[in-house]
Amino acid sequence: MLKIENYSSKILSDISLDIDNKNLIVLGANGAGKTTLAKVLSGVIVSDNIEFETPRTKYINYIPSFLEIFDDFLNVEEFLQLSHLYGKQTIDEVLHLLQIGHLKDKPCKNLSSGESQLLLIASSILHGAKYTILDEPTSNLDPKKVKMVYDILKDENLLQNRIIITHNLHLAYKLCYDVLYIEDGKISFLGTSEQFFSDENLNKVFDGSVKKIDENIVTAL
Amino acid sequence: MKIILIILSLAIMAFAPFFGQIDISVQNLLDVSTTDYKIFFDLRVPRVLLAFFVGAILALSGLVFQTIFRNPMSTPFTLGVASGATLFTAIGIIIGLSAFISLFAFLGAVVTIIVLFMVSARFKTYETSSLLLVGIALSFFYSASLMIVFFLSDLQENYEIVRFTMGSLDVVGFNEVYLVTIAGIFLATLVKKQSYHIKLLLTSHEFAFLKGVNVKKTNYILLLSVSVAVGVSVSVTGPIGFVGLIIPHILKNIMRQSADKLIFPIFFYGGVFLVLCDVIARNLSTASDVPIGVITAFIGTPFFIYLIISRKSQS
Repeated sequence: MLKIENYSSKILSDISLDIDNKNLIVLGANGAGKTTLAKVLSGVIVSDNIEFETPRTKYINYIPSFLEIFDDFLNVEEFLQLSHLYGKQTIDEVLHLLQIGHLKDKPCKNLSSGESQLLLIASSILHGAKYTILDEPTSNLDPKKVKMVYDILKDENLLQNRIIITHNLHLAYKLCYDVLYIEDGKISFLGTSEQFFSDENLNKVFDGSVKKIDENIVTAL
Repeated sequence: MKIILIILSLAIMAFAPFFGQIDISVQNLLDVSTTDYKIFFDLRVPRVLLAFFVGAILALSGLVFQTIFRNPMSTPFTLGVASGATLFTAIGIIIGLSAFISLFAFLGAVVTIIVLFMVSARFKTYETSSLLLVGIALSFFYSASLMIVFFLSDLQENYEIVRFTMGSLDVVGFNEVYLVTIAGIFLATLVKKQSYHIKLLLTSHEFAFLKGVNVKKTNYILLLSVSVAVGVSVSVTGPIGFVGLIIPHILKNIMRQSADKLIFPIFFYGGVFLVLCDVIARNLSTASDVPIGVITAFIGTPFFIYLIISRKSQS
């Protein structure tokens, strides 16, 4: 159970949330506080309002949207070795799954933004925490890779409970997880996928800039 | 390549005691009563060992600082630790406590590292250049204070302070060598023990935290051991700059491996580098030894500028 009560900071106000063994999509405009919420939930931002089961690492993991590495020569395999805590898969299996086996010996610093994003997803699978928060896991990926990541997120055996922050509404819709919508640091919606993606609610939240056409969520331009 | 480097280094270490103003004959080394024997075993050998362990400590401290402060240009010296040690030593000299110079140098190093750590805790991780600026500001502050100390000192004290700031590997006998050797081995062991955590810190502090590292505690342990080791070595030799900057950088680029694998190479080649610098220092002039700090600074300054330029062109 992932639980936070009455959390407030400069960015977030009065957040209470109780996620019990389920997946969640987190949506919200730029700067609404999604990443801050993720950092609070994962303990990166320290707070008294949240309690972790011990060991914390087995319980929660946060995957940022960008790979940050200081060392110039730490390679992909070494990075994944550091990530490999509880995941049942081997490093080679996960490299194969994400189609980045050819990058094994490459320094992480030399990866493209898309490649580093796939590396981060590989890292999350190998970490194998009970709850994994993925911050915009598809923002730098080409359409084929988005499909691949979608399949991975659908697979119940790879990651246990997934909390996914995204701007890709179509992906969010197809995943069918419960939706949390953040507006100006407050939770303005928490409900099922069906409720959130109803025509009426989409209109209300996105002022007509988002439409559902034949079960596809598209941006009206 | 690797083997050649090791053999070359060992050769430098083995032949270093033979170089100097007075030529040593190998034959005389077998006879305890000769002057050659005394020079060799009481002056030259301790000096080489001292140079080795001081160089090793400085190089490894550079690596640790670069990892913790996440900036390739941070070393205990670029961040003002040496100036701190020098100022405290100068104060020790003018208040008439020359006998406790080592203690003062040590205190100066430790105080500066504490200040740096307190300041860096207030920065976000990406603001690494701010810390360098703080280091520069500290250095200016220390040199201004040093001017006041100079102003207040008499001629004899003045000379003592100047000699200390030049850095010197002059030793007689093994007492101080033992101290630095212990500090060096202590630092290397401790850093090696933390190498898994260091490897995690080489990604990002956030990643390390999420993998279960107590980032603050690890930083404290590493910084504390660096303060002790650098404090000890500065107290014996005075400030010797740039070793911590050059050696980690060169070895990273030669070996092209993540820094946690370079702990022993950096320690070893840092030592060899300073032994080599000392051989140069002892043989440049016939009148007296050129201070070692001068040699490392002459090699280090152009290198430091090169480092800044090449990083600029990369980004």
